[in-house]
Amino acid sequence: MRRLRALRSVEVDDRGLELVAFCGHCGQAPPGPQPSRVCGHCGLGLVLSASSDVAPRNGEPFLVIDSTLSVCAVSAEAEELLGIDETTAVNRHIADFLVPADANAPSSDNLLALLVVAASGGGAPRTAVVRPRTEFGVRFRVRIGSCGPPHAALLVLAA
Amino acid sequence: MFSMRTLKTSEAATLLNVSPNTLRAWERRFGYPQPQRSAGRHRLYTHGEVAALRDALGQGLSISSAVSRAREALSTDTHTLVGALARFELDRADSAMESALALRSLERSVEEVLLPSLDELDDRYGIDSAPWALAARWADGWLRRAQRLVPPPVRPHAILVGDATRNELDPEALGVRALELFCGRSGARVVALPVSGVSGLADVVDSLSPDAVVIAGSHLPDDDVALWAYRVRAAAGPLPTALFRRARHDAKLRTTGTRVLSDAPFAAHRQLLALIDGRDATRLHDVPALCALGEEVDRHEAHV
Repeated sequence: MRRLRALRSVEVDDRGLELVAFCGHCGQAPPGPQPSRVCGHCGLGLVLSASSDVAPRNGEPFLVIDSTLSVCAVSAEAEELLGIDETTAVNRHIADFLVPADANAPSSDNLLALLVVAASGGGAPRTAVVRPRTEFGVRFRVRIGSCGPPHAALLVLAA
Repeated sequence: MFSMRTLKTSEAATLLNVSPNTLRAWERRFGYPQPQRSAGRHRLYTHGEVAALRDALGQGLSISSAVSRAREALSTDTHTLVGALARFELDRADSAMESALALRSLERSVEEVLLPSLDELDDRYGIDSAPWALAARWADGWLRRAQRLVPPPVRPHAILVGDATRNELDPEALGVRALELFCGRSGARVVALPVSGVSGLADVVDSLSPDAVVIAGSHLPDDDVALWAYRVRAAAGPLPTALFRRARHDAKLRTTGTRVLSDAPFAAHRQLLALIDGRDATRLHDVPALCALGEEVDRHEAHV
């Protein structure tokens, strides 16, 4: 007898892509419906959602930035990768940690402009190249898109 | 007047929709919410802190940012008090302290709201100004009112405070009042006398039978303090003696086991009770900059 796959409802963004929930600290998907926004796995992050083409995958490091370009969350992997601590990074400007590293990028791809647009909840995901503020030999390609709630920019350092 | 709602760990966790383990993990990682301890050493969270965090979590992007937002919400009491006192609005100042007490214990309200607000007014206007005089008198009255509401002593301890501050306008006087208040709320009997008056001191000492002596404030000179301490010692014999906010003086004090207390009244009152109980007395030397003063006293004693 043919088995039918169970149907599940999915939330989609305005481009019709599935919205993926993940913890703002450990990056894992929540174990199931839960009463609070606090991650049921690590307890150290809030559950956020982002389009499936932006959301972090397989432990990718990421940061969450608000429309004032202040850091709001740093994932555990990003803490390790960038050598920063979320508790001290929060409320500091993103440029204190990451700066654009692609000199040939057109001005429309300016990192900070991309982050402001993403933090306002609009625009398709974009990519950029950044480097740690104090490092010159290291570059990361990043995906930038919207996440929330509330609206914020998600900056995923691609593996 | 000084009621404050506290929550047990399980109650606070329920309010925040997290597990008690998560709450303890937040305390380790973020230092918030910072619980007090009950007599049985159980965590007691102030309702205001937990409620502020719950509201912030609803609008936050991370626990860190929510904690930051909750702390900011709590710090508004300080701004309100400074604003009220700067505008000579004493009713509003009373209200600000009432609001602070709704969110914190009395001890924390004094240390986190009242004293920092007065420090800010001191920085802003100076201690010779009318705003400072009004604010200092208001704060002194508030602390004395709180002291009158302290329940009768339950500990067998009595503490004699030698007040070496100038008067209630001395910025250190508020710290001394706070120390007296905290010791009284811990169940100890506290009597504060000005160091400048030694007449009849022996009668007071006989009646009080103090377990410890604290010399507080740095306005009066060492000679006055030494005379006062000598009279106390003559009447009561050697007693544990501690210095509070008297960092620059103590060379002429002849006491046994002089200790330097923390400048923070709450920490100082804990150290003082530990000194009386004979517990953790070595921790009183945790203030590195002041350790040298203790050595100076020892050298002086050896010389005498």
